[in-house]
Amino acid sequence: MQPQIIHELVALLGPKGVLSHREDLMLYEYDGSVELGSPECVVFPRTAREVAEIVRLANRFEIPLVGRGAGTGLSGGSIARSGGIVVAFSRMNRILEIDAENLRAVVQPGVVNLDLSRAVEHLRLYFAPDPSSQRSCTIGGNVSENSGGPHTLAYGVTSNHVTGLELVLPDGEIVRIGGKTIEAPGYDLGGLLVGSEGTLALVTEITVRLTRKPEAVKTLLAVYDTLDDTTETVVDITVRAITPAACEMLDGFTLRAVEDYVHAGFPKDCAAVLLIEVEGLTEAVEAQAAEITEVCRLHGAREVRVARDDRERDLLWKGRKNAFGALGRLSPMYYVQDGVIPRTRLPETLRCIEEVSRKYDLRIGNIFHAGDGNLHPLILFDERDRAEFARVVAAGNEIMRQCVAVGGALTGEHGVGMEKNELMPLMFTPEDLDLMHRVRAAFNPAGRLNPGKVLPLGKACGEIRVQPITASVTTPA
Amino acid sequence: MSRSVQASVTRLEEIAGGGHVSSYPAELAMRQVDGLLPSVVVQPADAAQIADVVRFANAEQLSVIPCGGCTKLGIGSPPARYDIALDLSRLNRVLAYDPRDLTLGVEPGARIADLLGVLAEQRQFLPLAVPFADRATIGGIVAANSTSPLRHAYGGVRDFCLGMEFVTGDGMQAKSGGRVVKNVTGYDLHKLLIGSLGTLAVITRVNFRTFPVLPAQGTFVASFSDAESAFGFSRAIAHSVLTPQILEIADPGAAHFLFSHEAQARISSQQWSVIIMAAGQPSVVDRHARELGHMAGIANADEFLPLSEMEHSSVLKRISEFPRLVLEGAPAATTFRIDALPTAVPFLLKQLGELAERNGMRLAAIAHATGTAYTAFFAEEGNEKSSAAIANAARQVFQICGLPEINAQAMLEWCQAEVKRVLGSAWGPGRQDFALMQRVKSVFDPQSVLSPGRFAGESSSHD
Repeated sequence: MQPQIIHELVALLGPKGVLSHREDLMLYEYDGSVELGSPECVVFPRTAREVAEIVRLANRFEIPLVGRGAGTGLSGGSIARSGGIVVAFSRMNRILEIDAENLRAVVQPGVVNLDLSRAVEHLRLYFAPDPSSQRSCTIGGNVSENSGGPHTLAYGVTSNHVTGLELVLPDGEIVRIGGKTIEAPGYDLGGLLVGSEGTLALVTEITVRLTRKPEAVKTLLAVYDTLDDTTETVVDITVRAITPAACEMLDGFTLRAVEDYVHAGFPKDCAAVLLIEVEGLTEAVEAQAAEITEVCRLHGAREVRVARDDRERDLLWKGRKNAFGALGRLSPMYYVQDGVIPRTRLPETLRCIEEVSRKYDLRIGNIFHAGDGNLHPLILFDERDRAEFARVVAAGNEIMRQCVAVGGALTGEHGVGMEKNELMPLMFTPEDLDLMHRVRAAFNPAGRLNPGKVLPLGKACGEIRVQPITASVTTPA
Repeated sequence: MSRSVQASVTRLEEIAGGGHVSSYPAELAMRQVDGLLPSVVVQPADAAQIADVVRFANAEQLSVIPCGGCTKLGIGSPPARYDIALDLSRLNRVLAYDPRDLTLGVEPGARIADLLGVLAEQRQFLPLAVPFADRATIGGIVAANSTSPLRHAYGGVRDFCLGMEFVTGDGMQAKSGGRVVKNVTGYDLHKLLIGSLGTLAVITRVNFRTFPVLPAQGTFVASFSDAESAFGFSRAIAHSVLTPQILEIADPGAAHFLFSHEAQARISSQQWSVIIMAAGQPSVVDRHARELGHMAGIANADEFLPLSEMEHSSVLKRISEFPRLVLEGAPAATTFRIDALPTAVPFLLKQLGELAERNGMRLAAIAHATGTAYTAFFAEEGNEKSSAAIANAARQVFQICGLPEINAQAMLEWCQAEVKRVLGSAWGPGRQDFALMQRVKSVFDPQSVLSPGRFAGESSSHD
């Protein structure tokens, strides 16, 4: 990078606000995937005004910009694919306002997801989106990726919890969209921006909804001897229109790894477990728990256990939320997927994943948000084995195609990023993608903001085709 | 019929078929928007025909306004031009309904009443208790982002719409989102169409998640002699662990519309009222009945009434139909939809009440506890106001909403066309984000063929 640019950035942000040494930059080459990309410098603004100055400077020197929160993303959203400046929001980490009366909080993008919930815990409130990385991921990152989590089954994803944003547009203008009210007349720009993966604007302030903690919570663990019984239970819970707050599934392979790692109390000799949570008024929780227990038993659950206290509940959730890490202990690398299917297609899709596992001779762990059909098959592999790596790519591709073929989607919460952008034509026509390109160009005409993400790259040549995907491989946490 | 209109009719007949194009005055009059008539009505059969119509309009520089039940065409600024009424009532099929998966794909011309009937057979529903329920169509409800009292528990259209297919203003068929309940693949372009009043694209399919009908329900009304107590009660409920489905506050003016029939004998329509619906297991409804009664006592309610089954349906229907009841009772009424924070609503309604009084008008207001308020101003019989006077009052409504202690977003929904013309826009003073909305408009509809002039950021260039 030209010394002139570094010099100007240092003048703007101070010497501690800019990193440009190779060894410092290496920490910013990756995110939760092992997609790699080297930034030429990393900057740490404190205000929207500074962000706007950085954007204007990047425009002057025609260099790309990529926003970054905690770097926990799983699709390469915060990777500087084309070099340039990474705008890290870790210094913009203040909770600016808590309005408990109206159930709102105004935060800077670098606030850690769980820190917001902790800050309002004494008011019996919390921030509902709860990705597994919530101890470290930032709300700015959640907004970019439209993050979900286990409890989004009942409470919705990030987009359902954001009412207003302050943006720095790619031309350096600072604009507010929405506000604290639940909605506002006019086009739902917030609905477009949340989940746009940092390709339309840099978000410098977020107004979110806070949610009241329920009166009662019950966490159930249902244990199964066959995978089919487990998935049929999920289908039946959906069909009976029971809406638990969360309904997670771990297959035997995964839960054995988890148990060895976390000691959460999962039985190691079973085929799969469901971790189901019901929340609400005490009366509703009792009724739902009884109904769910009945459905589980009807489908051959050999045991349905209710967490006796908070400690036991926390332990079960710790097992769930650390499952990726646990599988990482079994293999040097894993490739995590994020396909979504209609919930009633769960049994056949899981059987399909088993077949793929056999066909390609790969170990695949299944751990996912069963209640909303959001699958996370984890394919284990050793990246030094190039032949195995090729099989991983093919297997991942086959699973993804199956999800789309049954009416599903490529990603439920991890985002498209640079991992699935070339697969977009599986779901979208050239016209759909053209419109998305044009919308992006309306915000980000020079394409300088987070280039190479979300949309297929081939589009520039007027050609869209599915290319072999480059696997997003993930280093164990 | 002018030669150019005849040429349009001929071309549109080629696209949609002979029986599906009309320029009869009665057909045109049905689809008038703010007194403006189209030259021709076309009823396409599918998305491909819609795309052809829109491309034809682009080529001929004609403007197109999509319509269905024609119940909400009055919302928005007056159109700048209006040539073709694009009637979507032939696109009225349920394309995919998987009750086991609780997902639904439906065409825009499907009437909500019919759709709710189909869902009810499976003991499911969409939380769209919207006005004009007998005629309103899915496309119109989505395009107008109709508000429903059920949003307290289920959110608005954006919260349960999974994806859409549509035809853009340049005649391209496109889609975004999907059919599954969780999905972040690509830009959520369909969210832009919610509340866009047909200014960006013509909706050709909407995918929703559906919801199970809960086993038991109960509705309760508490009445109060003053606003402060009524808002205190609703606030106490909102801050409790209770989980009502509906929580509405109605001023005495609105109570008159809500309780004028079945429930009239028991509920005083001269007072402030708070209406609560609870649903779930019978034990859940019982708990609400118990605790709400207790809380109403603490909040100094004059009365707290659990409603009978019959009263319940009547009151619920009347809350949903509130804008229509006002318009039927007072056709010259001026109604605003105002999005405010819950804590700002009491002061907002106080200010609006005083404004009505100063201007010799009456106010009827109903507010969701989440902050969205429907307010109607109307004159007493024999004391009708001039358009200029009403427009002046409307300006003051926008001013009140802009007060720092209120900071609400208002939109003029229904009023006499002349009032909007005097005002110039239904959207109030300009907002920072209107420029960004303009950019979106120019992507979807570069030649401004779709509903020109009705859009938020566009001032009316009507002459």
